[in-house]
Amino acid sequence: MATGAQSGGLPSDAVPISSGTLRETRLSSVDRALGSVIASLEKEQELKKAIREAMEPIEDISRRAASTLNDIHSVHGMDHRAIAQRTLDLIEQVRPLWTGVSTLIPAGEFYRYSFAVGPTLRTLTQLVAYAIFIIQDALAPSHDVARHLGVQEDSADGVILTADDYLQGVIGAINELPRLSVNAVTAGNYHLPLRIASFVNDVFASYSQLNLRNDVLRRKFDSLKYDLKKCEDVIYDLTLRGLNPRSADVSSAPVSRTSAPLGNTGSSA
Amino acid sequence: MADVIMEAAPIAEAGPSRRDQLVDTFTSYRQQLDLENERRERLIILSRSITQQSKKVIFHLHRCATLPGTPAFDKNIQTARTMVQKIVESFAQVSAELRDTSDAESYWRWYRNISPGLEEFIESISFLHYLEHRQLITCQEIQNTLKEEGPDDTLVVVTPDDFILGISDLTGELMRFATNALSTGDAETPQEICAFVRNIKTYFDGIPTHHLRQLSKKQEETTRSLMKIEKLCYETQLRSIEYDGRRDVLAQMSRRDVEGYRDQPIEV
Repeated sequence: MATGAQSGGLPSDAVPISSGTLRETRLSSVDRALGSVIASLEKEQELKKAIREAMEPIEDISRRAASTLNDIHSVHGMDHRAIAQRTLDLIEQVRPLWTGVSTLIPAGEFYRYSFAVGPTLRTLTQLVAYAIFIIQDALAPSHDVARHLGVQEDSADGVILTADDYLQGVIGAINELPRLSVNAVTAGNYHLPLRIASFVNDVFASYSQLNLRNDVLRRKFDSLKYDLKKCEDVIYDLTLRGLNPRSADVSSAPVSRTSAPLGNTGSSA
Repeated sequence: MADVIMEAAPIAEAGPSRRDQLVDTFTSYRQQLDLENERRERLIILSRSITQQSKKVIFHLHRCATLPGTPAFDKNIQTARTMVQKIVESFAQVSAELRDTSDAESYWRWYRNISPGLEEFIESISFLHYLEHRQLITCQEIQNTLKEEGPDDTLVVVTPDDFILGISDLTGELMRFATNALSTGDAETPQEICAFVRNIKTYFDGIPTHHLRQLSKKQEETTRSLMKIEKLCYETQLRSIEYDGRRDVLAQMSRRDVEGYRDQPIEV
């Protein structure tokens, strides 16, 4: 830096007009200002990386739970509750792991780094809501989901499940249900589609009460009506063939499953 | 077949009561979401107001920036300082909105909504700083202006991201300033700004894209600005050889030369 000060001995490619010394101090102000800020940017990156790494064991459990719950499509209805319970038990293993994440985050700065946690929280919410629907035929409220996961529901030290994450996660669970409804029919289970349609209907009505703005939650909500339609289409198909256990006489339902269904269409539709 | 009947049972009982229950829980979710949306809206409005005020500072500075050392220049800077002080008062409002006394986590939950305004503010105050000192303001210096009277009362935190993105916008202002300076016959300032902006760009080029995604687009803009400044310098250099020792002629030529650039709309 000192060499530029002697303007007399400058080579010819140096800019002739400006004074070298002054230019150096001005440029060094850039070094001073940007050097330190880029260093703190890098430090922040390291922290983000550490948080992502601390999330990995939780994400592993979440994936295992998802694949456990996925078996629900291929087993007989009787085992659904057992699978859902196994999923919940598996998810409970994440409870002690959150501290590994929250100790990395400076006090009061959870939302500064929540981008690394949010997607997993939403997936876990989805799994819990799905499993609890199978077991209890109910929508798990936010505090229930938070309790299952072992996180906070509102601000406190540690990981927080926000209303937004919860509401998005639940929609994720609903998105899975049309598929379950279809597969239940394939497996000869005609009651589950009814349960699903009634549940999706209730959840849709509930979400309709929210004043949503144009964001992710709103877009996810928009997907609900298609799920509702798919679920109702299954009911229609069943009813058309006299397989709807509610509209037909319940005791006759198992019979119509084995006999030719078309004879009943007129009475039940 | 037994399971089919077993599963049928909950429908009849749980149906209506479940919906009533859901109405209750979702009413509370709605209240929560409504409060959050209202706060977000208020912050966005504040952010926009800060953006507008900051743009005014920048326009104001451009008006008299090319005459350093004159009383008019000093008065201009003084007025800009007063305008900046007004913006800091807006940040006090922002601070109150961001800090919920009942929620220790609220600040970082909402601060993203203020980022556009904060970046514009950084752009304006760094331009002001450059005109006064011909140096790049530091993140800490900006942080110091965003404080209340008390010793440790930070209004808004200037993150490295905010600072870098704001400074990235500064390069566009410097390009305009260099162009205007040349039009008044000042051949030195463009050279100086050229080296200054080039140095900033070099630093920003070293930042990996995934560290700061918004930067790469801004870097394209910075590159364009730098090329304009370099072209100005190139032309001045050629002229200075042709008209060596005839500064007055040179100044006239420059004025004509930059007219093309000047007609471009100023986008801040």
